[in-house]
Amino acid sequence: MATALEIRNLHVRTEDREILRGVDLVVRHGELHALMGPNGSGKSTLANTIMGHPAYEVTAGEILFDGENVVELEPHERAKLGLFLAFQYPVAIPGVSVANFLRMAINARREEPIKMKEFTERLTRAVELLDVDRSFTSRHLNDGFSGGEKKRAEVLQMAMLRPEIAVLDETDSGLDIDALRTVAEGVRKLHAEQGLGVLIITHYQRILDYVRPEFVHVMMDGRIVLEGGNEVVDRLEREGYDRIREEVAARA
Amino acid sequence: MPESASKPGTPPPATLNSALGGRGAGGEPLAALRERARVAYDSLELPYWRRSGFWQTSFAELDLAALAPIAHEPDAAAAPAIIAGQRNAGVLVQRDASVVHVELDPELAARGVILCSLELAALEHRELFERYYLRRLTLDRHKLEAASAAYWSGGAFLYVPPGLEIAEPFQIVYEITAAGSAQYAHTLAIVDRSSQIRLREYDLASVEIAGAALHAGQFELYLEDGARCRLAHLTDWGEGAVSDVSTAVVEVGRDAYCHWLPALLGGRLIRHHDELVVAGAGGDMAFRGILFSQGQEHLDVFAVDLHETGPSGGDVHWRGAATGESRASFEGLIMINPGAQRSHTYLQFHSMMLSDAAKLDAIPSVLVSADDVSASHGGTVGELDELLIFYMQTRGLTRADAVRVIVEGFFEPLIVQLDDAPLEQQIRDRIGAKLAAAADDIERYALAR
Repeated sequence: MATALEIRNLHVRTEDREILRGVDLVVRHGELHALMGPNGSGKSTLANTIMGHPAYEVTAGEILFDGENVVELEPHERAKLGLFLAFQYPVAIPGVSVANFLRMAINARREEPIKMKEFTERLTRAVELLDVDRSFTSRHLNDGFSGGEKKRAEVLQMAMLRPEIAVLDETDSGLDIDALRTVAEGVRKLHAEQGLGVLIITHYQRILDYVRPEFVHVMMDGRIVLEGGNEVVDRLEREGYDRIREEVAARA
Repeated sequence: MPESASKPGTPPPATLNSALGGRGAGGEPLAALRERARVAYDSLELPYWRRSGFWQTSFAELDLAALAPIAHEPDAAAAPAIIAGQRNAGVLVQRDASVVHVELDPELAARGVILCSLELAALEHRELFERYYLRRLTLDRHKLEAASAAYWSGGAFLYVPPGLEIAEPFQIVYEITAAGSAQYAHTLAIVDRSSQIRLREYDLASVEIAGAALHAGQFELYLEDGARCRLAHLTDWGEGAVSDVSTAVVEVGRDAYCHWLPALLGGRLIRHHDELVVAGAGGDMAFRGILFSQGQEHLDVFAVDLHETGPSGGDVHWRGAATGESRASFEGLIMINPGAQRSHTYLQFHSMMLSDAAKLDAIPSVLVSADDVSASHGGTVGELDELLIFYMQTRGLTRADAVRVIVEGFFEPLIVQLDDAPLEQQIRDRIGAKLAAAADDIERYALAR
């Protein structure tokens, strides 16, 4: 399959320190990847840098989308190319309903505004996929939402906006088991039915029990230190991050 | 006399009621009141209001000699675009110094509703006019108020007899059309027992006013027992050099209700004193307000929530945003008079800064002279949330669109309460246009932080 997202030798720093120190990662169209790693390893930095968060400075390397380097692009331009980020901590937008925001976001990507009928059909399907009440879409986005509702709203947006590649930043954190299952099932279906390429970032293996990734990457101290298939998840569960850290240290 | 700002050691600013000593200025023939105002005008200086100590709202630069009322002939097609295409109960348009257009639903006229120029009302509805005119307004607190009371022309008069429920709005429009215009405006509206109406007053410039112009306005609305009114003021003088010093008062009678929303969306120099008085037991009100200053604009609001008797309810909620090098000040006063037991009210002001060169001050105060009441205030000061902007950008919105969504969302809780789709859209459009005009400034501010 064609390369969609290709990260080459990416170095990223914030004001006070270097966080990513040479990351290489490829997610092709339609592939399902997991990026795991302990807290502070740089996973969220990678997610935010892929979308162009202004607080993260790329000091070396490239982020290619379908062969085009996007490092200099604004976040909304990356979104229009087909990148999507589901936030670890989604932000409330007071005064703007879920449905209105979705219509704005969809229209921002197209020349002609979406027809009401098409929008409603899409919304109906997405609402069913995420197992939320239709009234959910008339509430103000993330305003007063529970943790589970916020994560459902992230995947709902993903379903509506139909990106090529979605990065899910710790979407599983803070979810009870029912919410986790719904969200994971939604991601799995979008992958299976729409050919969505996915990079799931997580600290735990829990979500990966529902969304079986084809490719697993482990990040430590700003680098990918281990890659493989699903067996990596099982190994992490058995041995924990410390064992891998020791191995990496021994290799160095 | 200019009022002083409420700061420690100085008395709080006068409400209209205290300035009047509890008695209205009216009740005399119009000619006598005009003469009193003329005498005051000659002896008074141009007003200023001291703000937070660092700046003031001053009309001292105004060159009154360069301004004069501009008269116009009647114009049958005068309804401006802003209210075009709506079904209305009635429309009155004043262009500069002249009322040029009045229309009233004939059915309502047959049922006793009166909509005409205030000049005409003083002659033809003298009994009503003298009973209400200046009942709660002053005419000599400062030179421009005296000018308005002495020299107003045209004007709007609305009387709704008892027991009518009218769904369509009454629209009153004051337009300034040219530099040099001195517009002395006066609206007097009465909603008699148990009637229910919607009323809007627009204060607008029909073109960009290149030189100086002045609007000195007085507005008074009396809601008799059980009357209900949804009232909105939309003030937008555009980018031109219009100065506006206006006073508005709403009296809420026994078991009456008013929802009032002034929106101050543009003007070079604006001072508004807006006072909502709950005067009858069981009276209730919601006092909303929006202010948005940009560029070199200067907006100064004194909003009063006065309870003369209890039980009574109040709920004051204003929001303001400022960009460019603009100055905006919101001074809010809750006042509960002796004997106004079982009054309950709350004052909140929320602000959003969109520029580091802008200033936006909130000065809330509470004066309570009864013991069985609840009265308090609160508020927030906000800035653009960069994380929120990034969030929306990752969904495909440009930075400018994200800012617009945030600012509209900030005002939206007040806008939706208007329950009036065309007016809501007008306010949203105007906020959108102001944001577009200030886009570079907002971006510079964001990047500098």
